[in-house]
Amino acid sequence: MTAISSPTSEPALPALPKADSVDVLLLLEGTFPFVSGGVSSWVYQIMNGFPEVRFGALFIGSRKEDYGSMRYTLPPNLVHLDIVYLFEEQDNPKVRPTRAARGSMEEVERVHELLHNDIRNPQCMHAFASLFDAASPEGKVSHEVFLYGQESWDYIKESYRRYSTDPSFVDYFWTIRNLHTPFWRLREIAPRLPRARLYHAISTGYAGIMGVLLKHRNPAPFLLSEHGIYVKERKIDLFQANWISDNRNAFERDTSQMGYYRSLWIRFFEHLGYLTYQAADDIVALYEANRQRQLTDGAPPAKTRNIPNGVDIERYAALRPLRPAAAPPVLCLIGRVVPIKDIKTFIRSMRTVVKHMPQAEAWIAGPEDEDPAYAAECRELAQQLGLAEHVRFLGFQKLTELLPKVGLVVLSSISEGLPLVILEGYAAGVPTVSTDVGSCRQLVEGLPGEDAALGASGRVVRIADPDALARAALSLLSDEREWQRASAAGIRRVETYYAQAMMFDSYRQLYHKAFNKEYPWQASASS
Amino acid sequence: MAGIGFELRKLLVKRSYTGLLQAYAYAGIISSGPWVLSIVGILLVGVMSVAIVVPNALITQFQVTVTYLFLCSLVVTGTVQLSFTRFVADRIFAKDEAAILPNFNGLLFVALNLSILLALPVALFLFPQQTVLYRLLFVAGMAIMSAIWIATVFLTGMKHYKAIVVIFFLGYLATLVFALLFRYVYNMEGLLLGFVLGHFLLLVGMIWLIYRHHHSDRLIAFDIWEKGAMYRSLMVTGFCFNLGVWIDKLMFWYTPITSEAVIGPLRASVIYDIPIFFAYLTVIPGMAVFLVRIETDFVEYYMKFYDAVREGATLEFIERMRNHMVYYVQRGLFDIAKIQAITVLVVFLLGEQFLQWMGISTLYLPLLFIDVVGAGLQVVMLGILNVLFYLDQRRAVVWLTVTLLVANVVFTAASLRLGPAWYGYGFALAMLVSVLAGTWFLSRKLESLEYETFMLR
Repeated sequence: MTAISSPTSEPALPALPKADSVDVLLLLEGTFPFVSGGVSSWVYQIMNGFPEVRFGALFIGSRKEDYGSMRYTLPPNLVHLDIVYLFEEQDNPKVRPTRAARGSMEEVERVHELLHNDIRNPQCMHAFASLFDAASPEGKVSHEVFLYGQESWDYIKESYRRYSTDPSFVDYFWTIRNLHTPFWRLREIAPRLPRARLYHAISTGYAGIMGVLLKHRNPAPFLLSEHGIYVKERKIDLFQANWISDNRNAFERDTSQMGYYRSLWIRFFEHLGYLTYQAADDIVALYEANRQRQLTDGAPPAKTRNIPNGVDIERYAALRPLRPAAAPPVLCLIGRVVPIKDIKTFIRSMRTVVKHMPQAEAWIAGPEDEDPAYAAECRELAQQLGLAEHVRFLGFQKLTELLPKVGLVVLSSISEGLPLVILEGYAAGVPTVSTDVGSCRQLVEGLPGEDAALGASGRVVRIADPDALARAALSLLSDEREWQRASAAGIRRVETYYAQAMMFDSYRQLYHKAFNKEYPWQASASS
Repeated sequence: MAGIGFELRKLLVKRSYTGLLQAYAYAGIISSGPWVLSIVGILLVGVMSVAIVVPNALITQFQVTVTYLFLCSLVVTGTVQLSFTRFVADRIFAKDEAAILPNFNGLLFVALNLSILLALPVALFLFPQQTVLYRLLFVAGMAIMSAIWIATVFLTGMKHYKAIVVIFFLGYLATLVFALLFRYVYNMEGLLLGFVLGHFLLLVGMIWLIYRHHHSDRLIAFDIWEKGAMYRSLMVTGFCFNLGVWIDKLMFWYTPITSEAVIGPLRASVIYDIPIFFAYLTVIPGMAVFLVRIETDFVEYYMKFYDAVREGATLEFIERMRNHMVYYVQRGLFDIAKIQAITVLVVFLLGEQFLQWMGISTLYLPLLFIDVVGAGLQVVMLGILNVLFYLDQRRAVVWLTVTLLVANVVFTAASLRLGPAWYGYGFALAMLVSVLAGTWFLSRKLESLEYETFMLR
């Protein structure tokens, strides 16, 4: 058990902790410990919240060069860490003509047939999982069989003829290859992973499908926690992706219809998500809207529940007395400077704010290294609007030092899940002005019933509406009583519904359910 | 020979018999020009020296010496001919043309030194009866011939087909003139001196052409010897092919009952050499058809196929292009076979008169017939090899040329043992076996072309 301090520049990894068995094996795609952000912090928080639980983790990344050094000090109860890169190019098996074992292609065809036409068939997930398990060097569908097999070539040709609406065969061929390659990479690492009493995936996608495989190989309960909705986020990525080709000519192209490869990728992730929902024993969403979305995407309702994020109330409550009696005229956006946060709308809104409240300031607290071009545009925008005096880019800040100095936590994002900064602000007594995305309305106005009765702990505005954002901010900052009311409602709301202790309790229940083998199928499996 | 197709097609689009005739004549000259020129040149030197260089055995000594120079230089440089062509093509593809000239110089340097190193001890120890001049000319001839093959291969790779023919023509004209001049002074050595000087001019002409078209800031480089720069498979192929088509002759030269000593260690086989010599002249029409069919029709669909693969055509289109390719391979090989079959029939009909007219005993007739068949098959074999090169089937080509070499050794040995009635059958049978093996390879490769192109690259 070694705690690893985060190396600052060297991407070469120190020896990773290894163990034969763990209590909880976390399946992490593109998050902890190599990427910082909300989900990674949450993972870190969970591990620290259960010091008595031995965690293992599998980090699933795209290519090695896409990640820098570890962003977190590994907690001592993380006793195993493995890394797999799905799209690393060089390590394909040696090229040689290959024949598939008798019967294996029939199984491949059957699973594809099920996925295509009958995904709701209860057999589908199991058929998929056992085929996935056969994607090993000794298995019936080894990587060689897929890459170099005559039968696989015949099947690709046949599928192209049956399904592809895009003319380019070479693009079809490579899309199919890229789509499938991760299965062999994931299957390859499966035997190296420690035994676990619970598999806990933090998203669907590749992490989720790894859970499907692991549960098939070594039955143990499988818990899925989704922060965003993976399939939805992937769709947004894929709609914008320009690496996907579309070879339809002017006559074939119907702009109302998506390119074939785009839809193929989207269907791929939809299927991964669906299969993961079927295999998971419990499915956790952060808030109700997301849970509804999971149901739409095929999650069985009985397995789903909401467990919101929680914050360490005491830590932030200590900040409340540090603030001056009157709310500081400071609007603070806490987050990475990236387009999805729509920092520009926040900057534009400051024109109106400053007109009515000349002493007002906008602070933008967050790293700018993820999209330097966008950060530069934001700074330029502030200059052009003559707001250089009023808009400050602070870089990464410690919340405990920042929150006592601000009057409002602002979120202008065009997409959010359940943003912790709002809750952290509440705990420190700072109300929020947020766009109406993700769970933000729920966080500001409360869910119908007792929660809503607590009153609004800020304001919710439309996305990309600088004027509404400015008016909402002014309505709080220029009205002492309104501000105090919102601040008090925020404190009550976060203490009642979003305390860290409550989140831990919920997860403790789920973990113990697995540890104590309380899932019905475990009893029948062991007897 | 990519690139020749363009000029041939220009002639073919005229869609007239004269255009067609021109195309085939042009192809015939391009494909056969150099070696026909060299055969005819040496023959003329001999024929025109009868009664001047006496005794006649001296002319034979000259011709045999020259034949061995051809053989040795071809086999030695055979190892690098194909691989260097590929190296040049790869450099052009990589837009690194500045690397070509210094590496040509480097290869020339190595080839010159190697052939001198090989020829020197032969000249020193194996020709005790010969003059110093003869020995010097032997070494110089070997070096110059080796350099010429490398320059030829290079110029072919750079598509200077016409220039090669012109330079060969001028070179052999010079050889003829010099030989006829110097024979008065040095007799047999005079012929050889003329040969060496003529070929020296030929080489200078080629190098002049190369320097006119290529530039580089480095004088000499040896990149080709670095690991992976030249394909070993192509080196094996080049060596095996050249040795494979010569080995039956060598075996006849060094079998006592079929041969006689001519000069120093060099032997010749009159009964074997004369028919095969004429037989090779009969492949000119086959070579012309080969060039036209493979370089125009086949290459057209070959390029369309790979463009279709690269540029995202439908699978149907890719398969259609493959089918066209297969069709033109079949048709090309069939046409070569057809024209060679006609040639064989003509030889069968007129061979006897021809030999009488040439003043050669008609006892050679059966051997001439079978040699004409063998030489014709050799053209088909060349066609198959060429298609396999286009498809980058280097392994298949290695197997094929090894097959040729082994088959030629085995069958020729058998024919030598079976006696004079079987002479020539070894060579022809070796070619037949290679052609059949090549056809089998080729049809298998063409059948799985898309599979290999997509899955195994």
